[in-house]
Amino acid sequence: MTAETHVELNRSKQPFPVVTTSILGVLMAIGLVVAIIRFINGIGAISNLSDGRAWGLWISFDLYCGVALAAGGFTLAATVYILNLKKYYPIVRSAILTAFLGYVMVIVALMVDLGQPWRIWHIIIYWNPHSPLFEVGWCVLLYTTVLALEFSPNVFERFNMQTPLRLIRTIQIPLIIAGIVLSTLHQSSLGSTLLLMPDKIHALWFTPILPILFLLSAISVGLAMVILETSLASKGLGHQVDLDILAGLGKALPYLLGLYLVVKLGDLLVAGELDLMFSSGLYSLLFLVEIVGGVILPLVLFALPAVRLSRTALLWSSLLVVLGLVLNRLNVSLIALAPRPGTMYVPHVLEFAISIAVVSAGILAYILANRYLPIAEHEHPAGHRPVVEVG
Amino acid sequence: MAKGMLIDLTRCIGCRGCQAACKQWNDLPAEPTSNWGSYENPPRRSANTWTTVTFNEVSEGDRLDWVFAKRQCMHCEDPACAAACIVGALRKTPEGPVVYDDHKCIGCRYCTLACPFGVPTFEWDTPVPYIRKCTMCVDRQAEGMEPACAKACPNEALLFGEREELLQEAHARLEAHPEKYVDHIYGEKEVGGTSNLYIASVPFDKLGFPTLGPEAIPRYANVAMAAVPPTIVVVSAAMAGIYWITKRREQMMSQKVSVPVEQWPKPDQDKED
Amino acid sequence: MTNHWIDIKNSDVILIMGSNAAENHPLSFRWVSQAMDNGATLISVDPRFTRTSAKADIYAPIRSGTDIAFLGGLIKYILDNELYHTEYVVEHTNASYLVNPEYTFEAGIFSGYQPDVRSYEKGTWWYQMDENWIQKQDSTLEHPNCVMQLLRKHYERYDLSTVSSITGTPKADLLKVYSAIGSTGNPDRVATIMYAMGWTQHTYGTQNIRAAAIIQLLLGNVGRAGGGINALRGESNVQGSTDHCLLFHILPGYLKTPTASYETLAAYVEANTPKCNDPKSANWWQNYSKYAVSLLKWYFGDNAQADNEFGYHWLPKLADGGNYSWLAIWTAMIRGDIKGLLAWGQNPAVGGTNANRVRKALERLDWMVAVNLWDTETSSFWRRPGADPASIKTEVFLLPVAASMEKEGSITNSGRWAQWRWKAVDPPGEAKADSWIINQLMIRLRTLYEADPGPNPDPILKLAWDYGPDEADVHQVAKEINGWAVTDIKDSEVNIIVPAGKQVKNFTQLTDDGSTACANWLYSGSYNEDGNMMSRRDNVDTHPAGIGLYSNWAWAWPLNRRIIYNRASCDANGVPFDANRFVIRWTGPETKWEGDVPDGGWPPGEKLAFIMRRGGRARIFGPTMADGPFPEHYEPWESPVLNPLHIQGTNPALWDLERDAKGATHAYPIVGTTYRVSEHWQSGAMTRNVPWLAEMQPDMFVEMSPELAAERNIKNGERVIVESARGSIEAVAIVTRRFRPFIINDQVVHQVGMPWHWGYMGLVTGGSANELTPPVGDANTMIPETKAFLCDVKKV
Ligand SMILES: Nc1nc2c(c(=O)[nH]1)N[C@H]1C(S)=C(S)[C@@H](COP(=O)(O)OP(=O)(O)OC[C@H]3O[C@@H](n4cnc5c(=O)[nH]c(N)nc54)[C@H](O)[C@@H]3O)O[C@H]1N2
Ligand SMILES: Nc1nc2c(c(=O)[nH]1)N[C@H]1C(S)=C(S)[C@@H](COP(=O)(O)OP(=O)(O)OC[C@H]3O[C@@H](n4cnc5c(=O)[nH]c(N)nc54)[C@H](O)[C@@H]3O)O[C@H]1N2
Ligand code: SF4
Ligand code: SF4
Ligand code: SF4
Ligand code: SF4
Ligand code: SF4
Ligand SMILES: [Mo]
Repeated sequence: MTAETHVELNRSKQPFPVVTTSILGVLMAIGLVVAIIRFINGIGAISNLSDGRAWGLWISFDLYCGVALAAGGFTLAATVYILNLKKYYPIVRSAILTAFLGYVMVIVALMVDLGQPWRIWHIIIYWNPHSPLFEVGWCVLLYTTVLALEFSPNVFERFNMQTPLRLIRTIQIPLIIAGIVLSTLHQSSLGSTLLLMPDKIHALWFTPILPILFLLSAISVGLAMVILETSLASKGLGHQVDLDILAGLGKALPYLLGLYLVVKLGDLLVAGELDLMFSSGLYSLLFLVEIVGGVILPLVLFALPAVRLSRTALLWSSLLVVLGLVLNRLNVSLIALAPRPGTMYVPHVLEFAISIAVVSAGILAYILANRYLPIAEHEHPAGHRPVVEVG
Repeated sequence: MAKGMLIDLTRCIGCRGCQAACKQWNDLPAEPTSNWGSYENPPRRSANTWTTVTFNEVSEGDRLDWVFAKRQCMHCEDPACAAACIVGALRKTPEGPVVYDDHKCIGCRYCTLACPFGVPTFEWDTPVPYIRKCTMCVDRQAEGMEPACAKACPNEALLFGEREELLQEAHARLEAHPEKYVDHIYGEKEVGGTSNLYIASVPFDKLGFPTLGPEAIPRYANVAMAAVPPTIVVVSAAMAGIYWITKRREQMMSQKVSVPVEQWPKPDQDKED
Repeated sequence: MTNHWIDIKNSDVILIMGSNAAENHPLSFRWVSQAMDNGATLISVDPRFTRTSAKADIYAPIRSGTDIAFLGGLIKYILDNELYHTEYVVEHTNASYLVNPEYTFEAGIFSGYQPDVRSYEKGTWWYQMDENWIQKQDSTLEHPNCVMQLLRKHYERYDLSTVSSITGTPKADLLKVYSAIGSTGNPDRVATIMYAMGWTQHTYGTQNIRAAAIIQLLLGNVGRAGGGINALRGESNVQGSTDHCLLFHILPGYLKTPTASYETLAAYVEANTPKCNDPKSANWWQNYSKYAVSLLKWYFGDNAQADNEFGYHWLPKLADGGNYSWLAIWTAMIRGDIKGLLAWGQNPAVGGTNANRVRKALERLDWMVAVNLWDTETSSFWRRPGADPASIKTEVFLLPVAASMEKEGSITNSGRWAQWRWKAVDPPGEAKADSWIINQLMIRLRTLYEADPGPNPDPILKLAWDYGPDEADVHQVAKEINGWAVTDIKDSEVNIIVPAGKQVKNFTQLTDDGSTACANWLYSGSYNEDGNMMSRRDNVDTHPAGIGLYSNWAWAWPLNRRIIYNRASCDANGVPFDANRFVIRWTGPETKWEGDVPDGGWPPGEKLAFIMRRGGRARIFGPTMADGPFPEHYEPWESPVLNPLHIQGTNPALWDLERDAKGATHAYPIVGTTYRVSEHWQSGAMTRNVPWLAEMQPDMFVEMSPELAAERNIKNGERVIVESARGSIEAVAIVTRRFRPFIINDQVVHQVGMPWHWGYMGLVTGGSANELTPPVGDANTMIPETKAFLCDVKKV
């Protein structure tokens, strides 16, 4: 082990993306103004949320989708550190960055969505272990902390802080395991939250095994997100990742998607509700799009070696998985969830403004992190690899 | 003993004394409304309107029924709202009412989604919002009074008392007048039973009551939540185990190639298997 | 009410017709429901399906204004099927009386009609009298000139098809109602009738109630527990206000207002004291002079002495034939005859029929004082939409007044129960009790008259008025109403029964020699030496049959009698027709009558039951009515159809002051009616200013059938215009199956209905239904016909 850390920042390699960051900045500013209105006049002032539909875009997209899409962190951490598949090491840092940013975004969005966000700490002192949301809350809290720790070496390295680096290193594996456990719990528990709405969610989506489906789909989408994000980052930030690595991830996906598909359809079969796939009108359509477009099609694609040999094909195939998951989460928590009779919900533009601002902030943070922190390991010659690779 | 209310819709004359009394007792402001082609107003319950009477024109062939139904929190025996509440702000008391603690709530509104009866409502237009719903007038009960709505009802459509006794009374009424009632005590079995019980002359689904099974709403979530501790143990153990195995295999391999144990292998040493 | 609210629980059949008890008298439904728990049948007859209909076993739709046809059909049904209670009819009604053979009824007009004055000369309607001046009778009810036979003949024409073609009620529904009510002719069964404005507000409103009375008498249901004719009174204390006679034609206790032609007290008393030679008739009104003189003693105190006819000459007199009723007031105002108005606890700018005319009439006043809780449409008539305040000269004063819970006093409910109420809270701001305002008014008037007596100061200056400088002491007033001994009251043996200064026990102690003063004989007994009977709150029912009299709760006039005409609940031997639900029964000379306070304590058989009637029997034939002794179906003043019964069509004796305000059928083909909703009170001042009530019924609306809505291309919830010959308003359309088109004479007739609670003041505002209603009134009471008129609806 050498004491010095060699981190070559890519800030020198590309010009600062002024246009992109300005656009993102404007979007964030808009979101900030909207958020201020919300804190003065209440949630009703900026949203179409109502008692008829108390959770909307923010929860469905920012929370349900956001958390699942950030699953790349724990899946890749597991792959690299637990399964010890070191080949994927070069992308683990960026996966963890994405996860970390993802969870921070979720929390930021919740600050807007919660009625009294300043009381978020209440979950620490007021316990209701029966509540799936209580568990989600705790896990998200802890896991974000874990992610922060997992991510911290980037910062420590950047600023050459050796003591904390060593400290982190000693607890690295327990940390990774904790992250996996927490992720397993809350990825599934997000599904459990919906278990309290058995009579409101369309039977095509409602099942007591929603937690399992949520977990399985999160694992798949975690990998798909890593492929997608890495491919995009390669394009946008100009650092290439070995195709081999992406292909390797892609090769795992048919198995994961297949498992998900089998469990999901098997569950419908057992429940005797397979016919709903074709007899529920718009819901059937949505379900089929979700399953065919987001599961079966990518499953087939990733199984094709030709696809795995093409960066573009990989990108598009993983995008399918991601979109499939987004549709799934929107379906189960928004579209196929009946509002109170006599009410309806279409997100307000200002709700989009908040979500867009949060995503913008995430992207900006990602860009900046990639610029200023030692994220993109793989571009360094082997000898310059850092000593501590904490995910 | 747990209290409850027997709401006999055959006796409700739709006068809405209860609706006004609830607002009066609980100091709830009026809402701006407009006639939308119905006597019903406010059109739905809200943080400022905890109970409403619905006006249901039910026709069957030539026959027309106009059935009025006072709706409010059912005070479930195993309430979904309480199961949902992230901080335990909602709670079923042994005395019957499902109560809400202002001081705990963080405003997540999970309760509003979980409730099968669409009850909890939220203060959407204030910077410091709370959940609001019928309290079964616990504050009045504490003073030995019946709920304000029951007190106001001119026609004894709202009977406040011990749930067990009310249940017997409901059964007695159904038995005495089978021609008058549908054979269904809504709330006796629904979602595991509710403190408030309804009897009526027409099927409840025609009055906008949700059709619900006898199982408590939290049944699935409870299973999932019960699985949490074992999941922690199993997943941690599995991960540690796998780690141990992979690590050991790596050690053995690295011994072969004489790489120090502490050192990470080069990525390209690991080929896909 | 002949009976009282709780008594409804004793009924077997409850007919709610011409009222909407569930919405307007919600608490009455507690007793309706209890009766139904015991198996009673509830019938609702209403042009529209109401919250009352929703609870009824039988609902029958009826076109507004056709109740007499409906009830006439029932009378015929009862007679044809011999369902009447013969013993009751013979013993307690005038069915056996022989009527003047010159009495006729032809082409819709009774004998004696004088077209020039549009009223009847009623001489031919009187009974045949024997040599002792006692009415001739035929107890077999067979004589062709007896009331029973005349009744048969009169309603011969009201067969099922005719009735159905007038009312629009399907025949099957008619039969259901008829047989249910008819079943109570059996003495074991009893029916009650609950009515209100749906019957009264017609140009033949009084006859609607007469028709009901005839039915109840035929079935033997008057005086019985669970029976009677029950007017569901409106304003909480309207019964009290009627008893104290806040009307132009009567004085407290239903004494007649003197007219100019009664030049002396003796002449006035003579004219108003009925005479009957039948020894079995108690003829209670023979005591008229006692009540009249005691009233004068109360008015004028020591100034009232035998030698000045107890101040009779200080009373204002009506011009003979003069009419000072509601409708006439506005005409007089417009003519400029009335210069000032005290609009005291009323809001005529919304509540008055043809309200646009009312609002115009207010502009003609020099001054108006509104005494009210709120600034109403009336007090703000000068700034109503479309008015130019600059051109209105009326000086308006608004005096804020204390609400009912902010002052002490009594109110009398429909069941004649006078109940004491205590003050709960102080009035806000400068608001004062009505009695304070009245007292100040009187004190200041007196001061003014003392300073400048003018030509006729005595009525003011001689008045006994000493209620202190502030708010009148309501206990003092209540005691004066009960009456007291001014000087010792002595019996025929000159024993002192009541010493001077003591309260009289009840009106049986009142005299006409000036030794007693009493503000209202009917209430005598309410606050005597035993205390304030109205404040009693004993909720134990002491009646042996448990019929819910609660005789020790508050106090009912007369003499705490809870069910009036109760002697008619027994046969001539004092045996109740229905032993299980008896009201009173004769238990022999020792205990006398048991149960309620009987209508006079005479042993059975000694006196007839209907003691307030000159002859002692209830009137199936009503010879004193303004518009005929039998109710006849007339069409409303504005009607979309011809009267199939006769060419006369409308009531020939009705009151119409403004004939040009009548709408033509082709322009206004739809029948309109007005009514109340639970959520609002009357002109809306009391409820449209209460946010919780305003939010429940925020907008003026008009209800109509889906069929009419389709014809007019109107959708539920849309704004529409409702128009009549008097005006036009906007409203929200409620399209509902609770309204249905009627088939009248084989033609489709639509009806719409609207509440009349809205105006331009208050938290929620809207068009007033009374901008549409007609300025015509009932022949007997002059109540406006706001329940049936013609209108049209169209999209805005
Ligand atoms: N909530 C509430 N209660 C009230 C009042 C109020 O304003 N609001 N007002 C009080 C007062 S002062 C009064 S006088 C009473 C009045 O009490 P009600 O007489 O019950 O009042 P309305 O609603 O005017 O009329 C009663 C019914 O008559 C029906 N109707 C209309 N035309 C006819 C007809 O020709 N024949 C028959 N058979 N029915 C007809 C109407 O559809 C209506 O349902 O209510 C008292 N109670
Ligand atoms: N079209 C149509 N018109 C109708 C009717 C109908 O059925 N249809 N119904 C008719 C009937 S039955 C009635 S009774 C009349 C009612 O007509 P109104 O008597 O004019 O109507 P209210 O609104 O009852 O008016 C009572 C007023 O008294 C005030 N008030 C309340 N308490 C007190 C008090 O203690 N002291 C004083 N000084 N004022 C007080 C209230 O604020 C209110 O303004 O309307 C009649 N008009
Ligand atoms: S009805 Fe809804 S809010 Fe009320 S106790 Fe049941 S679940 Fe909770
Ligand atoms: S909104 Fe409040 S009461 Fe409802 S679940 Fe959330 S914390 Fe609990
Ligand atoms: S019990 Fe109390 S809080 Fe609940 S509806 Fe009745 S009055 Fe309102
Ligand atoms: S107060 Fe009673 S009768 Fe009136 S609407 Fe409420 S439940 Fe029905
Ligand atoms: S008088 Fe008062 S308590 Fe009685 S029915 Fe009317 S509103 Fe209700
Ligand atoms: Mo009235």
